[in-house]
Amino acid sequence: MAQARTSSSTSRQDSHRSSPAVIGAGARVRGKVSGEGDLTIEGQVEGEVVVRGQLFIAEGGRVVSDIDAAGLRVAGTLEGDVSVTGEVHILAGARVRGDLHGSSISLEEGAELDGSLDCEFSLPSELESGGGRAARR
Amino acid sequence: MASTVIGAGIIIEGEVSADEDIVVQGVIRGKLDAKEGVTVEAGAVVEADISGGPLTVAGSVTGNITSTDRVELQAGARVVGNVKATRITIADGAQFKGNVDMDV
Amino acid sequence: MALLTVIGRGVRVRGRVTGEADLTIEGHVEGEVAITGTVTVDGDGIVGANINGRVVVVRGAVKGDLVATDAIRLEEGARVVGSIRAPRIAIAKGALVRGHVQTGTHPHAQSSTSSASRSKAQPARAAAPQVAPPPRAVAAPVAVKRPAPPVMASRTIPAPPPHAVKIAPKGPPPPTVPALKKGAKGALKKKAT
Repeated sequence: MAQARTSSSTSRQDSHRSSPAVIGAGARVRGKVSGEGDLTIEGQVEGEVVVRGQLFIAEGGRVVSDIDAAGLRVAGTLEGDVSVTGEVHILAGARVRGDLHGSSISLEEGAELDGSLDCEFSLPSELESGGGRAARR
Repeated sequence: MASTVIGAGIIIEGEVSADEDIVVQGVIRGKLDAKEGVTVEAGAVVEADISGGPLTVAGSVTGNITSTDRVELQAGARVVGNVKATRITIADGAQFKGNVDMDV
Repeated sequence: MALLTVIGRGVRVRGRVTGEADLTIEGHVEGEVAITGTVTVDGDGIVGANINGRVVVVRGAVKGDLVATDAIRLEEGARVVGSIRAPRIAIAKGALVRGHVQTGTHPHAQSSTSSASRSKAQPARAAAPQVAPPPRAVAAPVAVKRPAPPVMASRTIPAPPPHAVKIAPKGPPPPTVPALKKGAKGALKKKAT
């Protein structure tokens, strides 16, 4: 069981090969993880994760870090803010705490979430600026 | 059939305006403006001025009723307020206290 | 008895909507919604109000906080600006949200959100005291404001939900029931009559 600890260093994962990058279940990373392609985290990562592709935090994976990725799927534990250009999917069983930014965010029933969602969209005009004469009694 | 039903368990305190038929089975306090028909069913309580098209009342209304059409107070209705309508029917058993103004 | 209320597309309500029933909103509601059943905001629905219910399902537009005692589901087409709190929350892919989302039964006190004061007690139930003044606490008339003779209305006006009684922390305690000693019940009954 590899217990690799990298302290405050940058580890790059190339995904030019077909096998996707995986931080296995027995691995613990402390530092910045960045990569060109997709990344699956089954172990523990603490620090920062910047990935050009899709990030998947598997069940059992535990990430304490801000995340920057093209897409995110979480089945494990995540603590940190998320900035994703594409879609964020939080699967049942996941536990997430942090603010999420993405073009679309989905939350499966059974997932735990404590954080704010920030999607780009506008409300119908009746609701903008209080809609005028809202009579509150 | 009306597409708006204010069911028996509901209380609305405020203003209701409807472009369509509205059936009240619950409680409305405030104001009710309808463009189409209004039905206040038995058991309903409306404490509000009501304006609308044809109105049928079987419940309790406290407030002025203004209709562009006709108003029907059915047996069991209890209305306290003025009624303005083109036609009015007060059934035997309906209770009514107020003025009636029929645009003749 | 299924009590279904539908606020249709051509209807606009400005004020407070409360009650023990299920509510479907296809029209426009502004003010406040506090229901003990399921609140469904349909695709055409537009709600500028906080919504409290047992289950809240949204497919339309809502500007306000959503609080449920059971579950909240945002389905495709939903557009929500406001905080969302319930033991179980589901957000579909096509639903858009801007606001704080918190699953679980004890929301931590959110000092920044408008519903902070409500979140101290269980979220949806805490809204109920705003809905109906604690019934037992105040004098006999079921609804405080009503000038009209109570005869007809008392049948209709639902006895404010039992939840309201339990969670009215600020209402004066019910005026009855002093400590009873054994055998005092009989005396008390006589006294009541």
